Amino acid sequence: MPFESMAIAGTTLLPLGNGSTDGFSSVIFFTTNDGDIGLNSILALTQSVTYPQQKVFPLLIFIVFIAFCISNLVSPLRSPAMAKDPVRVLVTGAAGQIGYALVPMIARGIMLGADQPVILHMLDIPPAAEALNGVKMELVDAAFPLLKGVVATTDAVEACTGVNVAVMVGGFPRKEGMERKDVMSKNVSIYKSQASALEKHAAANCKVLVVANPANTNALILKEFAPSIPEKNITCLTRLDHNRALGQISEKLGVQVSDVKNVIIWGNHSSTQYPDVTHATVGDKSVPELVKDDEWLKSGFISTVQQRGAAIIKARKLSSALSAASSACDHIRDWVCGTPEGTWVSMGVYSDGSYNVPAGLIYSFPVTCRNGEWTIVQGLSIDEFSRKKLDLTAEELSEEKALAYSCLS
Amino acid sequence: MENLDVIQKVVVLLGCLYLSWRIIRYLWSFLDVEKDPLIVLVTGAAGQIGYALVPMIARGAMLGSDQPVILHMLDIEPAADILQGVKMELMDGAFPLLKGVMATTDVNEACKGVDIAIMLGGFPRRKGMATKALISKNVGIYKTQASALEQHADPNCKVLVVANPANTNALILKEFAPSIPEENITCLTRLDHNRALSQISENLNVHVGDVKNVIIWGNHSSTQYVDANHALVDIGVGHKSVKELVANNHWLDSEFITSVQQRGDAIVKARRLSSALSAASAACDHMRDWILGTPKGTWVSMGVYSDGSYGIQPGLIYSFPVTCEKGVWSIVQGLTIGEFEREKMDASARELIEEKTWAYSCLH
Repeated sequence: MPFESMAIAGTTLLPLGNGSTDGFSSVIFFTTNDGDIGLNSILALTQSVTYPQQKVFPLLIFIVFIAFCISNLVSPLRSPAMAKDPVRVLVTGAAGQIGYALVPMIARGIMLGADQPVILHMLDIPPAAEALNGVKMELVDAAFPLLKGVVATTDAVEACTGVNVAVMVGGFPRKEGMERKDVMSKNVSIYKSQASALEKHAAANCKVLVVANPANTNALILKEFAPSIPEKNITCLTRLDHNRALGQISEKLGVQVSDVKNVIIWGNHSSTQYPDVTHATVGDKSVPELVKDDEWLKSGFISTVQQRGAAIIKARKLSSALSAASSACDHIRDWVCGTPEGTWVSMGVYSDGSYNVPAGLIYSFPVTCRNGEWTIVQGLSIDEFSRKKLDLTAEELSEEKALAYSCLS
Repeated sequence: MENLDVIQKVVVLLGCLYLSWRIIRYLWSFLDVEKDPLIVLVTGAAGQIGYALVPMIARGAMLGSDQPVILHMLDIEPAADILQGVKMELMDGAFPLLKGVMATTDVNEACKGVDIAIMLGGFPRRKGMATKALISKNVGIYKTQASALEQHADPNCKVLVVANPANTNALILKEFAPSIPEENITCLTRLDHNRALSQISENLNVHVGDVKNVIIWGNHSSTQYVDANHALVDIGVGHKSVKELVANNHWLDSEFITSVQQRGDAIVKARRLSSALSAASAACDHMRDWILGTPKGTWVSMGVYSDGSYGIQPGLIYSFPVTCEKGVWSIVQGLTIGEFEREKMDASARELIEEKTWAYSCLH
């Protein structure tokens, strides 16, 4: 369509009708934020006063019409895509699988919107420096119009400088035969140092998403050692499990996944996570009613979602990079651009005591997002079964927190 | 004065009718009628490029963010589990545009109703393998896939062949699927095109999005000719020719060409894996520009069925500069070709003719 706003069309027709609709239209003009309309509306409003002279009236209409045409021809030429300032996005562990799936999504505007230019900062450890450079070469080769720059480095300070969004994919992976305490201690020291780098060099109000496991506890360590980053800006990823739960329900009910909403993932991103569909809906019907199988919802469904990661490793012989990257994009996009009306999503956020979950943990809650801020959905009913599950996962998180602190001293 | 009156009245009346029509159209758009989903086939979907490509398709990077898609993924039997894993991940992605996923090892099932086919699957080049051997392995594959497509795909199906030797695979596909219009069968040279843009952007220190109109001529192999003679850089107030801006013209005729040709190897050396991300992205660009059209004043490189333009023998799949409009590509005509360029273009054409002859001999 060559014309920007159809409100202009409406205003131009007004002089020919009666002036009674002028009032409504005037309100529309000034709320649609279009400068062209101002001109037309003023001219149109003059028509609500009926002129006695027959000659002047049509002439004025003619002028309005011409003004409308000119303003619409001129406006596309006037402002060629007022580009937004680029946002700096840091991806740690960028040379890995999830990073490789994630960076093209970021560069295509899937994370922050198709009109938001980005500058990618990619960080990894020195052994992966060459691979990281290969990824940088590919990003340049792909000629993404939104990608305004790529920094590929092994230096945490350079990587964190000026970043507005940080996606922490890097961490020490669990090797075969490793104890939980060993994995925990390795990751705790990594996240302690990254916390100070972020605190000193990242942009103010930097938003952080921790993906690397143990995600909740890594995020907590990050928060503890970067006290000047607002605690509400540090989150961990449970959106993958949220999306998996949506997928399972859509398969069970035979509906499109985009029609299912408002599942909740409570707690720790581990085997104690609790996928809760008591408040989930398809259209205006509740999911438990539609599924009619509470037994499955309390057992089979929960374990399927919890073990989906292992099932994918079994099939692909590699972990689920594609869906993890996609859900990281969803998490950040909904956080920054807002959740749709009536929909909530699951994010691991700093608990404030809601739902009797101990404060001071990074715990996954149902949240809505607006203007770049998340808010926990309050007032949802928690039945006995769910209560037990919520408490179980909170217990595990408190244990992990104690373990992490013991590794530091 | 009378005439002026009449003219005014007529103009205003026409204006009003037109604007009323626009208002009705605008209100109609509020009914939010979703487009019918398009079926996209990806062969070799269990591989690296497939893994990078399918989320791009599911997010609308290939066909637009308002175009729902149904993905058909095909691979060989040994990869069936991996393919199933990819299908599980696509479901876990909760993509709003993805209206269905089929993961199968049956080529006939995969080709049913397909509107767009991306052929990533093919016999890969083993270390030290000659091109002739590679061709002989792939000819059989593409012959089978050609008949499956012809029998089951949508009659106006658009095909993009990526697996090497891309041009010759595409030619075999065309020969054995005669009812698919010959202009619907293409091969990927957009990756090299994008690589050329990025080399120029690095050399001139500009953003890659400001460089346009390089040309990749010929075969997607070492004889491809990377031509920057008509390339332009957007300097804000118009465009400047790359040839003028490049300080060292000799660079355009030598190092530039080799760096683009060897970029694939450089990435394999760095990543120890081939360039899946950029290949998938180029495939999306190729299809998207083909279907949604190229921007005004810009052309892209596509391997298409030659019609004799620029003195290239007809009946080959040869990479040309093309513009696209309403789902149809057309070769950019009238570009001046110097002696150096002529030689390079003919050399690539000769190689393609050789490959074609060899491929046919493999079939008998």
